[in-house]
Amino acid sequence: MEEKRRTEVLLNSIKAGVITLRNDFRILSINKCFEEWMNMKAFEIVGKDSVEVFHKDGEICPHCVAKITFETGEINSIVQTRKSDNHLELTSYPVKDENGNVIESIVFVRDVTEHVRCQEEVIKLYKEVSQTKEYLEGIIENSEDAIISSDLNGVITSWNKGADKMYGFTREEAIGRFLPFVPSPLIEDEKESIERIKNGEILKDIDTIRQKSDGTIIDVSLTRSPIRDAAGRVVGISCISRDISEKKRVELELIRRNQELSRLFFISSAMRGTLELDRLLRMVLTAVTMSDGLGFNRAILFLVDENRNVLRGAMGVGPASPDEAGQIWERLSMEKKTLFDIMRDIEEGPSRKDSFFDRLSLGVEISLSEETILTKAVKEKSPFNIQNVKVEPLSDPVLIQQLGTQAYAVAPLISRDKVIGAIWVDNHFNRRLIVEEDMRFLSAFSNHVATAIESARLFEQVALTEQELENIFESMSDMVYFNSKDYVIKKINRAVSEKLGKPAEKIVGKKCYEVLHGTNEPRPECPHYKTMMTERAYVEEFEEPFLGCTFINSSSPIFNSSGEFIGTVHVARDITEIKKLQEKLVLSERMAALGEVAAKVAHDIRNPLVSVGGFARRLEKKLDGNLKEYASIIVNETARLESILNEILSFVRGAKLEKEMVNMNELVDEGISLMKSEFDERHIVLVKEFAMSHEIYADPNSIKEALLNVLTNAVQAIGSNGTLFVNTYMSDDSAVIEVKDTGKGISDEVLPFIFDPFFTTKVSGTGLGLTITHKIIEKHNGRIEVESKVNRGSTFKVFLPLKR
Amino acid sequence: MKILVVDDDEHILRLYKDELSEEGYEVVLAVNGQEALELFHKEDPDLVTLDIRLPDIDGIQLLRQMKEKKPRLPIIMSTAYDYRDDFSIWASEAYIVKSSDLNELKATIKRLLGRE
Repeated sequence: MEEKRRTEVLLNSIKAGVITLRNDFRILSINKCFEEWMNMKAFEIVGKDSVEVFHKDGEICPHCVAKITFETGEINSIVQTRKSDNHLELTSYPVKDENGNVIESIVFVRDVTEHVRCQEEVIKLYKEVSQTKEYLEGIIENSEDAIISSDLNGVITSWNKGADKMYGFTREEAIGRFLPFVPSPLIEDEKESIERIKNGEILKDIDTIRQKSDGTIIDVSLTRSPIRDAAGRVVGISCISRDISEKKRVELELIRRNQELSRLFFISSAMRGTLELDRLLRMVLTAVTMSDGLGFNRAILFLVDENRNVLRGAMGVGPASPDEAGQIWERLSMEKKTLFDIMRDIEEGPSRKDSFFDRLSLGVEISLSEETILTKAVKEKSPFNIQNVKVEPLSDPVLIQQLGTQAYAVAPLISRDKVIGAIWVDNHFNRRLIVEEDMRFLSAFSNHVATAIESARLFEQVALTEQELENIFESMSDMVYFNSKDYVIKKINRAVSEKLGKPAEKIVGKKCYEVLHGTNEPRPECPHYKTMMTERAYVEEFEEPFLGCTFINSSSPIFNSSGEFIGTVHVARDITEIKKLQEKLVLSERMAALGEVAAKVAHDIRNPLVSVGGFARRLEKKLDGNLKEYASIIVNETARLESILNEILSFVRGAKLEKEMVNMNELVDEGISLMKSEFDERHIVLVKEFAMSHEIYADPNSIKEALLNVLTNAVQAIGSNGTLFVNTYMSDDSAVIEVKDTGKGISDEVLPFIFDPFFTTKVSGTGLGLTITHKIIEKHNGRIEVESKVNRGSTFKVFLPLKR
Repeated sequence: MKILVVDDDEHILRLYKDELSEEGYEVVLAVNGQEALELFHKEDPDLVTLDIRLPDIDGIQLLRQMKEKKPRLPIIMSTAYDYRDDFSIWASEAYIVKSSDLNELKATIKRLLGRE
């Protein structure tokens, strides 16, 4: 009883329905859970036939599940659906007697609604997947692209119709074979690719080539990716290939045309920009050797030297050795310079880079009287492509020996029906065969650049001549300059800028009268003005005070081709030095003569005068009356004669000028110091005010003399007790020495005559002092000005030009 | 005070001698360069007046030679003709153009001999 009770408790605590049936399907017991589930009470149904209780209402039926167990003695399980969405799993377990006969069945009922739902989901998904698969298979099958899969050894496992079409193999032929469409040279590559894909890499849009079953090669674009199993392991390779042969062909054609156009464009633009022969040749050869260009390894440009009847290497471009070739190619591929960049480098860079190969090329010379491929190309105006120099008897031996070439091509350079040279190329380092296409382009290129080279050559000849003329022009010691009609200096040579002490850019473009004459408007004596007025050439000696020079000047008008007057050209020779020398010569001759005379006069006249005067003075002191008076007359007259003698002798001496750059203030100081004792004696106070020191071009002795005369004049005007002002300063382009006294002054009537010879108001002296001063200042292209007020004093201003 | 007067003109020598003696100087006379140098050594003058133009050695040469021996000896260049182009002249203490009026000469001598 206790046992039975325990079993009941146990059954009731199970969270599943439990029902036991006897083998005649009568219900023996149900547990609590079952009661709740089915909303039935045990006492209502225990002992009843389960068929009656359950089978009729289409809900769960323990009878149906137990029936199999009673028949077979096996555990049986079914799923039943209640209220359309509640799925229950019923499992019946047999209870057997000691003879093995099934006497009872225990049926467990579990809610499996969730399980069933999941299952349904799976089934639904499966259906969808298989539909997708069919769809995909359809796509794959009908795709224009070849879609292939292989195992990890490259053995084909699937093959679509597209692959049939593209590669010409049938599915049957292809499946099971190792990649039948890979050309044998690429098999190693392919194996590498397989390794990469095995590691999970996807190789996308790789352009390569494939071989069809009939052996033809096609261009394809491949995308290959790994196929993974459910665990993510790579188990195969899928490959989609697209035939791009046609596209590639069109594309290549486009690129080729584009390149050809752009190269020709480069060359012609280079042609326009580059008239320098060396640069042009280098551009041409670089275009020939650049991989962007014609891509030859080496190139030499030969030019015809008509005078010597030879073909002469003018320039060579290319590496000297395979090592250098490697370096250059590596560098170029690193720098990633385009043909355009390199052209620009050449155009803007140094004009010539001497390479070993360049020097080698310059030494190559082939006589045009010889019969070789190069000379034939020139003479027959035809290109040649020598595939093997050993087979071609006319191969140039010079090229084989000096350049080691084994195969080369030559194209003549023809400009206006005349052969001016030839371009020689080879592929010495990479041994690439020179093909028809190369030849076609080399010839086209040669034709195109020949005219440019010829132009540059002519230009160079002209430039050389021009350079020579320019050199002559520049190195002429005579000043040469061109003026336009409007007085503007257009061109000068070095002598002009040296003479003016200014750089050319400060002269050219300026008005000639400003720069050459230092005036603000044209001067009537200006050579340009004169030439313009007369439109005739003339030669004259021309003194230019502004420059302090004398020139022999030859001026000529310039007319343009239509005879219109457009400007003037002047050749001026500075004859200042010559003139000076001449003057010196004349002067020294004259001075020698004059000096002799003067010395003689001095000696032979002054000495007796001194004696006569001297003794007369002694007599004068000793005598009385009339005799004293007579003696006095002798004394005075000899004094007058002596004084005249002094003036004349110093006048002779003062005529000689020796100009040099001197410091004006120092000069004035020296002059003053000579008068120092005089000032002291006469109690004259000196007030100096000097401006910043300036150099003037002058003869210091004569200027000192002039200054002394002015100072003496001032001292005499003051007499004694007064003030003397000596100032120096700049005024416009002159240095000014100003001497101002507080003396008796000069009356207005007298003032205009003070510089006239022999004019004097003084009792003693000849009046030559200021005349000499005036003369000296005039000789320095300066001027002297006087202001004076009677009893107030006079101001003398000496203006000396600052410029030579 | 002894003065050596050098001049190739005898009248001038006479004039100078008379005038300077009256001023209280002892005067020795030389009519050419050679004599001048001899007297320069023999008489040891306190002052020399030199004519520039002399028949044998010119006055500027004499000036140099005398100044080499006695740099502090005052020398007056007295000339009939301006020879200023030769800057050796500045080695002398004074430069006087000969004149019948001997006041400048006398004043200069006075100044140089410190008699003023």
